[in-house]
Amino acid sequence: MTTYAVEVVYRGVFQKTLSRNICRGIVLAAHKEGKVGTAFGRYGDSPERNGVPAKYFAVVADDRIELEESLAKYEPKEVDVTICADDTLCRGLESWGWYGLQAINALTKENGTLIVTSKQTPESLLEDIHRTDTPYNLAILSGPASFSGLWVYKDDHTDVRILGALAKVLPGLVGLESYCQAIEEQWKSGAKVVSARRSYEQLHVRPVEPGEGSSAPRFSFEKPGWEEMKEALVVQGVAKGAGFRGGDGGFQAGRSEVFKKFSTRTMRPVINFEICTKCTLCWLQCPDTCFDVTPDGLYDVNTEACCGCGVCEDVCPVPDCITMVGEEHFKDNFSQYDWYQRDKEGYRQWLKGITAAQSAQKRSHGLHHWGQYQEELAAAGRGDNDDN
Amino acid sequence: MTTQQLRPIRGVHNAPLEEFYTSGHRTCQGCESALVLRLMVKAAGPRTIVLGSTGCMYVANTTYYSTPWVVPWMHTQLGSSGSAATGTAAGLKALMQKGKMRDEPINVISFCGDGGGVDMGLSAISASLTHPEYNHLVLLYDNESYANTDIQASGSSPWGANTTFSPPGRERRIMNTRWKKNTAIMLAHGHPKSRYFATGCPSYSLDLMNKVRKALTIGGPTFIHTFDPCPKGWDYDPKYSHELGMMAVEAGLWVQWEMEDGKLTYNGPSRMIATGRRKRRPVVEYLKRQGRFAHFTEEDIAYFQAQVDEMWEKWGTPGISSVKLDLTGDRA
Repeated sequence: MTTYAVEVVYRGVFQKTLSRNICRGIVLAAHKEGKVGTAFGRYGDSPERNGVPAKYFAVVADDRIELEESLAKYEPKEVDVTICADDTLCRGLESWGWYGLQAINALTKENGTLIVTSKQTPESLLEDIHRTDTPYNLAILSGPASFSGLWVYKDDHTDVRILGALAKVLPGLVGLESYCQAIEEQWKSGAKVVSARRSYEQLHVRPVEPGEGSSAPRFSFEKPGWEEMKEALVVQGVAKGAGFRGGDGGFQAGRSEVFKKFSTRTMRPVINFEICTKCTLCWLQCPDTCFDVTPDGLYDVNTEACCGCGVCEDVCPVPDCITMVGEEHFKDNFSQYDWYQRDKEGYRQWLKGITAAQSAQKRSHGLHHWGQYQEELAAAGRGDNDDN
Repeated sequence: MTTQQLRPIRGVHNAPLEEFYTSGHRTCQGCESALVLRLMVKAAGPRTIVLGSTGCMYVANTTYYSTPWVVPWMHTQLGSSGSAATGTAAGLKALMQKGKMRDEPINVISFCGDGGGVDMGLSAISASLTHPEYNHLVLLYDNESYANTDIQASGSSPWGANTTFSPPGRERRIMNTRWKKNTAIMLAHGHPKSRYFATGCPSYSLDLMNKVRKALTIGGPTFIHTFDPCPKGWDYDPKYSHELGMMAVEAGLWVQWEMEDGKLTYNGPSRMIATGRRKRRPVVEYLKRQGRFAHFTEEDIAYFQAQVDEMWEKWGTPGISSVKLDLTGDRA
């Protein structure tokens, strides 16, 4: 009598089809072994928003009564395996329906496993992942995060590679052969079966001791019930804002204290203040009101509010003035303007290095033109991207 | 009947720094509808009341105990943005007349999405436009689907677009075959006492802010329809939200215009196209950037282009209204 629960933590919309494929794959493979299961998205995450962290669950049990019993809990309170489909989620996630920042391994059981698709080392990921009181395992599936959109799916085999990895870390749930059968039936693709087997063999697992990991604070706050809310007000308005850092010049908008949005971000704008022409476009065209206007007319990104859409990079008329840089290069939400004011030379050097590092990487946030995914897969050799 | 006298903003450097719709909303990356609201209330200023009917811009902005609004706002039901606008404007007027409130002009803006405005709220908006004694603006932000509930087809979803209600179909082609877009001119035709109608696009932010200011200053009920690229439902990299808005205007698919006291003018690139100083970009450049059109065949693209060509070449008011005058024929 055992019930297994697996969660997939993913980027809303960009990885919606991917996470659904993974959870469906788990349940279909469980059927092969005479078990029953169900796959479902978390209610509080629907409707999904681009990039906003979301969750999908698969629950598998030996029989239907046992399954229904476990589902009475509405959504799993703890899981055997947490699958993190994008390593920038390791720093924590703020789902749009819930408040505060939750650790990526918040639901992972003692001696459970966290599978991350990443090109980073376990040590580098553990700088981001919050520490726990109990031991668990960190498994890394080498490869880039797979992003596509709502209508066109990028079939780079990430779904089946994760299923192969799951067979390795949780063989009690479903064995590799059942996964392979289910994959063959579901996708009618021998190549996908090969990808699943290969990831089973290549998976790297590292035990994590209690206390290992990041001690960064998880942002949280009081959530008042309806009786504690103020009379005639369901929601408090936001303060109007004032001059930059409370001074006389510039402007800094008041911002919501209870929803910060930065965990939605996979890339952040990096600004070369020295070539900025103060044209206002990044500030004016930002849907999230991220830019603070400094007294000298420059624009500083408020990285707690920025969700990394990249519109500022696109509207900026000066080449290389704003560059979107992958979030894996950063550890916190520091102010670039403050740094620039403090140490201009140091900032210049850092900027040079970070933009060079970024130019070697590719942005993967959904479709740019028809046929793009096929071109990318052909260039990578039909989905076998585990070596890059 | 006084209104706030909001002067046109001359140049982006003169745009007000103050924000009345700020960070803390739960929209997608690159959400242009959020930008519309931000620009709308930035132009309107602090003495403004905002009413929002159900849709992305209500749900994502005002979930439990959190909001990006700095000005007072209230939620209203999906079909009632028009009624809420009239009711609020009338209520303010009554309170001021009775001396229960300081007598001052307060902007009343009611917004609705294309589901709330193009589909179910159309009659209430029409009703609100028949009350010249009340000052308010109804702003329709159009992201071409019911985006909040995960992209169902709305009245203004474009021909052929993939939505959960109109999948392209595996065995047989299903697709959305309806074509409805020109809500602002539709409303302009039938409400002669309303003084201002316009279309806008957040890619042309200054133009949009000035249209909001004009609508609020002119008085009476007014209406603005905006075109907002939606990275989730249209399936593209959020980075290109701004660019896609510009492409739609340059392709002649979305027409920027305003009508003040019955006089219609084209704005920006649409003016250049209408006066023949600029050629329309081929529609395929716009289509091929979006996953929702990824199933299009050559014939589909040609059909889409032909529809846009017809708008500009055959219509009485090119790109805006198909009404043509013909005094020669008489069927009586």
